[in-house]
Amino acid sequence: MNLFQLRLTDATGLGGIAVAVSALLVIGFGRAWSRSVRWWVGGGLAGLLVLVPIGSLPAAGYLRGFTGDLSVTTVVVVLSALAARGGARSERRRSDRLALKVCLGAVALLLYPLALGAGPFDPYRLGYDSPWLLGAWWVVALAAWFFRRPLLAGCVAAAVLAWAVRGYESTNLWDYLIDPFVALYALGGLLGWSVVRVVAAVRGREGRETRSGPIAAQPS
Amino acid sequence: MSAPRGGRRSTLLLCFIVAAFTVAAIARLRPLPPAAFTTVSAGPTPGAGPRFRTDFVSARPSVQSHAVSVVELGDGRIRAFWYSGTEEGAVDVTIQTAVFDPVAGRWGPERAIATPEAAQSELWRYVKKVGNPSVGRAADDSLKLFYVTVSVGGWSGSSINAMTSHDDGYTWSRAERIITTPFFNLSTLAKGPPFNYSDGTLSLPVYEEFMGKFGELLRLGPDDRLIDKTRLSFGRSGLQPIVLVQGPERATAFLRHSGPHDADQLLRVETDDAGRHWSPPASASLPNADTAMAGLVLPDGRLLIAFNSSAGNRTALSLAVSADGGYHWKVVYALEDQSGPQSEGLDRAHFRAVVARLARASDATVQVTDTTLASVERLMGSPQGYSFEFSYPSLIRTRGGEFHLVYTWNRAFLKHVEFNQAWLDARLAEVP
Repeated sequence: MNLFQLRLTDATGLGGIAVAVSALLVIGFGRAWSRSVRWWVGGGLAGLLVLVPIGSLPAAGYLRGFTGDLSVTTVVVVLSALAARGGARSERRRSDRLALKVCLGAVALLLYPLALGAGPFDPYRLGYDSPWLLGAWWVVALAAWFFRRPLLAGCVAAAVLAWAVRGYESTNLWDYLIDPFVALYALGGLLGWSVVRVVAAVRGREGRETRSGPIAAQPS
Repeated sequence: MSAPRGGRRSTLLLCFIVAAFTVAAIARLRPLPPAAFTTVSAGPTPGAGPRFRTDFVSARPSVQSHAVSVVELGDGRIRAFWYSGTEEGAVDVTIQTAVFDPVAGRWGPERAIATPEAAQSELWRYVKKVGNPSVGRAADDSLKLFYVTVSVGGWSGSSINAMTSHDDGYTWSRAERIITTPFFNLSTLAKGPPFNYSDGTLSLPVYEEFMGKFGELLRLGPDDRLIDKTRLSFGRSGLQPIVLVQGPERATAFLRHSGPHDADQLLRVETDDAGRHWSPPASASLPNADTAMAGLVLPDGRLLIAFNSSAGNRTALSLAVSADGGYHWKVVYALEDQSGPQSEGLDRAHFRAVVARLARASDATVQVTDTTLASVERLMGSPQGYSFEFSYPSLIRTRGGEFHLVYTWNRAFLKHVEFNQAWLDARLAEVP
């Protein structure tokens, strides 16, 4: 392993994986730690994953063989979760995450089947240089900012900027915006949110029926 | 609806959004200008008499050799690339290369130019195995070698990598990964050779075989960056496209048929606008039992193709010519034909005898030993008996007008066939 032969796009790819994995480990195991300790431990773990070789590769390189480069969105989402852990779970933050999940969930349902050959149209192709795709994401980012959804707006802007400066190996904008992990996070989150809403609605209706039933049955 | 408040964070976020999209619009929004195909110069047609000879590129025992790709070098020699190892997909498989000297009429020693270990080190990620090389010459005269690597699973987990050589294959750049799909970059493979556009970009025919089976064209800029890709087909029936460029705007592509076996025919698509649009896949009126093919455009505009002509297997390999752009074909010569009633499930003694006879007929210099025969037996045997396979051809026409065809010979060796236009014309004259 010769770090002097590391290309910029290899460094960003390995770094993205190391940061995301470290942040997830800290989120999982460091619930009781203070914010500064979480950041120091997370940074140290990320450094180990990139810099310490196991055989001919750093540990992050083995993961990269399976995962590919993570999208900028995945890295931002994980880091924002790390930053928010222990903080107040406000309604606004939940709405912000929900907006991100709705947007990414819709993209995942359209992009993956068509890009993998479900039809003649390939939306992935638009990611190389389409002004329409960039314009659409510009509208999404501005709308997210206007409606105070900073996580969605920030993820989109960070992904677009990383694509603009060729931060990863990929030349395709989609790879900076979404990957299967964040797609799974979005779709799983939406499914969970839907189940909670349905259960709450059913319980609410049962509660109303329970309350109204005996009253209706009372003899006049 | 609540309007955004003008807090400092909100203003900074808006500035970030504007800056990111402005940089992207300036740096990346450069739509590709229309470019024409670069047609290959027909070159002279030597006035010599018919010429046809065969030999083995590689007859190394105890390894499987497969998926060859050939290119002409600057000095007129031929360089072949293929993969070999104990068996297809094994971790000891390497990408090999060797050079054929047409004056001396023999192949030089082979050497490995890509291994899983080297690819892993150059790509900075885990690599389990390597496979399918495809070679071509870029507009700047460098050689471009594409090959696949797999980190997890079988061939459907393949990703494509590119290497460049500025000295005709003696030294190579580090491998670079090409990202072609949004789903873990899985399942893009190459087989057919790349071709050039008039603007200096290169197009590589590739195929996907994860959820769908379809062909695509990758368009690569001078720095090997992927700048566009186009679908040649969709669905679950087309693999391993080859593109035959017939003019600046016109090309015909053929795809291996990998769909339902009641329609085992080669697939054909065409373009009249330099690849911006392709016709829907249609039958090319040639049998194709899920096997790869190779082809080129002859100087007079006819198409020449090498394909498996046997029904349902790879026991016969033939040359066919089409005068109408690939709609109708004439089979002009059977390069190999073991497609008789006993083409499969042969007993060992009979198989060994036929292999020994065919090997000696293919290359008079090859020593057919027990080791040689055991190598072929190991690869072509099954509980049902032994069978033959002649497959995965690669075909080029040199600037001097000679044709070089190399293909997998019973999975063990690579056979090289050299012929000229006079020989081909003589075969055409024999066909009614």
